[in-house]
Amino acid sequence: MRLRGPVATSVLCALALGCASPRERPAPGVLTITEEQSATFIRNFNPLQYAGDVRWPARHAMYEPLIIYNPLAGTYVPWLAESYRFADGGRELRFTVRRGARWSDGRPFGPGDVVFTFKLLSRWKALDVHTLWKHLASIEADGQDVLIRLGRPHMPVLDAIAQQPIVPEHIWINVPDPSTFANEEPVATGPFTRVTSFRNQVYEVERNPLYWQAGLPKVKALRFRAYPANEQVMLALLGDELDWAGAFIPAVDRIFVRRNPAHHHRWFPLIDATVFLYANTRRKPLDDVRVRKALSMAIDRELIAKVALHGYTRPSDATGLSDAYARFRDPTAVARGDWVAFDLERAGRLLDEAGLPRGPGGVRQGADGKPLSFAVLTPAGYSDWVAAAQIIARGLRQVGVDAAVRASEYQAWFEQISNGDFGLAVGWSEAAATPYSLYRAMMSTGSVLPLGEPSGENWHRFGLPAADSLLAKLELATDPEEEKRLFSALQHLFVEHAPAIPLFPGPLWGEFNSSRFTGFPNAQDPYAPLSPHLEPQSLLVLTRVAPR
Amino acid sequence: MKYLLRRLGFYALAAWASVTLAFAIPRLMPGDPAVAMFARFRGKLTPEAMEALRAAFGFNDAPTWSQYLGYLGHLARGDLGISISQFPAPVGSVIAGALVWTLFLTGLAVVISFTLGTLLGMVAAWRRGRWFDSALPPLLTFVGALPYFWLAMLALFVGGFTLGWFPTGHAYDDNVTPGFTGAFVGSVARHAVLPAATIVVATVGGWMLGMRNTMMRTLGEDYVLLARAKGLSPARIMVRYAARNAAVPNLTGFGMELGFVLSGSLLTEIVFSYPGQGYLLIRAVQSLDYPLLQGLFLTVTLAVLGANWLVDLVYVWLDPRMRRS
Repeated sequence: MRLRGPVATSVLCALALGCASPRERPAPGVLTITEEQSATFIRNFNPLQYAGDVRWPARHAMYEPLIIYNPLAGTYVPWLAESYRFADGGRELRFTVRRGARWSDGRPFGPGDVVFTFKLLSRWKALDVHTLWKHLASIEADGQDVLIRLGRPHMPVLDAIAQQPIVPEHIWINVPDPSTFANEEPVATGPFTRVTSFRNQVYEVERNPLYWQAGLPKVKALRFRAYPANEQVMLALLGDELDWAGAFIPAVDRIFVRRNPAHHHRWFPLIDATVFLYANTRRKPLDDVRVRKALSMAIDRELIAKVALHGYTRPSDATGLSDAYARFRDPTAVARGDWVAFDLERAGRLLDEAGLPRGPGGVRQGADGKPLSFAVLTPAGYSDWVAAAQIIARGLRQVGVDAAVRASEYQAWFEQISNGDFGLAVGWSEAAATPYSLYRAMMSTGSVLPLGEPSGENWHRFGLPAADSLLAKLELATDPEEEKRLFSALQHLFVEHAPAIPLFPGPLWGEFNSSRFTGFPNAQDPYAPLSPHLEPQSLLVLTRVAPR
Repeated sequence: MKYLLRRLGFYALAAWASVTLAFAIPRLMPGDPAVAMFARFRGKLTPEAMEALRAAFGFNDAPTWSQYLGYLGHLARGDLGISISQFPAPVGSVIAGALVWTLFLTGLAVVISFTLGTLLGMVAAWRRGRWFDSALPPLLTFVGALPYFWLAMLALFVGGFTLGWFPTGHAYDDNVTPGFTGAFVGSVARHAVLPAATIVVATVGGWMLGMRNTMMRTLGEDYVLLARAKGLSPARIMVRYAARNAAVPNLTGFGMELGFVLSGSLLTEIVFSYPGQGYLLIRAVQSLDYPLLQGLFLTVTLAVLGANWLVDLVYVWLDPRMRRS
């Protein structure tokens, strides 16, 4: 037959091409990382452009902040600033800027660059996404110091100010519009600054020879490869193509770690925000604390942690604090919060007490005679949340609440939850250095917006004047002991009123391969979080990791 | 000639319609780019920052007709705007980066699949009832009916990961520089084998079946009988008499398919981490990136029109009746 020839030839060609294919191997000393999931990259290293499609190194390896907060140690690590202090009753914040640091083009770094960066945020509102200028009144250089005056004392704003990436004045002063600037040739103070190659699926950034930490970084260059989805990241990890990643992998120990226990490692500390079930307190009967507590008791959190989260987390206690806030956790508040224990019988009794008797078909009825029925909203793409919502709905049905999961596309879910257009919804919570913003979002009256008005926090629309006064005192608290006392009081308030229903503390994904590099943080050496998702904390890792 | 001119007039009208549709379709989608942005920031944006971002992204509340006129004006100057999902890259360059790879991979796969399927269909019809005809079409239909994602994952896992014969992703090796060098061309070819092969395997059955069935009918025609009676060689009858006529319906399908090549193959691109239009499209939809969506719709519709124009030309060559009318 005539066809046989060409077909056989092309099969042979294909095989020859394939057999000749070497595995992708970077040069020694080049650390391969993936954090962004995308099929292609665009060249953009603008660290101020939070709204843009900015490459990972911009805020994780190139541009540095004044101070880095380490959530594992609960400490502030001096970085471009050597120290900071509050004065004038908290109205004045003074940073002493490091001497001897240089920009990667050789020009000296100084307080002028810090002042310039903050003034840039005030001039270009699109860049001030942390709304720093809501708190700042003025900023000026004072010798080697940077002096910031706050409109009124507000301790929690320290994090956002301290961790703002700083850009060089002598370059950015000539940028006509920094909000649309792609900064293709970055000049920065960080450990990795030289973009040596950039293609749409792979790029490399070499180390900064002028880095201010002498002898660092030990890694020669960083390489970034594009992977469009989790499956591809997983395959690359298994094939030893990647040194560092932050992917969610189901059954990670069986699939990844056990394949090569000497070099495949994962560490998922529970320092991401706690995931909550939000109950819309503007809808009856969810305004009744007994009902919220009863719903909470009907949730089998052990099962959620084991099945939906593959055993990566544990049930949350009633304070809703993740391990990032472990040093604030008050054991007496935890002990009082018995409403997170799975107890269908008590849940049923509490619902009876709240005046919601079972009607025909076993479904409970409100005072108006209508059956108690809720959709549990969740984004469809978060497979772990969807599984958790299913376990929640099953538990609620067992106590006579007609609940069903409604998984929708991310934006639709966000629109409903932010407008308060829901009964029950699974959602994240605030993550910061202290639980201030978490509890502010949970129960301050100032964060309650009317239904229908999109809100970034307090979706359940719950406010307590008692919480307001504690939060106001925290804004002024400079003494750690007082701070701790106030957070204890907030925890007790939260446990008493159950504004939202905590489910589990969020794990922060991180995997590494130790066959080429050492010095990654792990449970034995928890000097920093492993996850490459945290900025600017990745700087702590990049300045420690070394080639074997 | 007159036929071709008439078609040209039709294409001009269709081109205007596609330009307009590319403008209208994103705006008819549910959702609002501003809300999408609010969601992307998890709601942590003050009204002032939001306003400033809207300005930076070029959103405006002008009436639709004036937006449409502005769009036509920019289009005339070849300016497709700034992408939102890949801000601040211009849409033109974002699409250009993906277009080449889509054209290469999906185009190659469609051409191979069509050619192979048509040839196989021809042979199957010619040898109807024999083992080749009774075994291959059901087998290929079966393979084609498998979920593509599953098939591609299997190919990636076995061919790329377990056996290590082929790379597990990307369009070419990290360590080669693009250019007309043997190393680059070889690397591109190696990276294209698995993704192209999965598309071919998944689609070849359809072409084969279509060709086989039309060819069966053609083989019963009087002119084939006449050719046999004249004593022409079987190969000549098969190719020049039967297959040439039977190929026309398949060719129409091929024209359509060729146009849609530019919309990319989303699943192929995701499974094999291949750069291309399909992934851009899904990302643009997810983030309500109007400028990018407009650009993508425009390239796809114009490509469909262009491909159909080419098919029209080929018809004239294949079918003498067209030349006369």
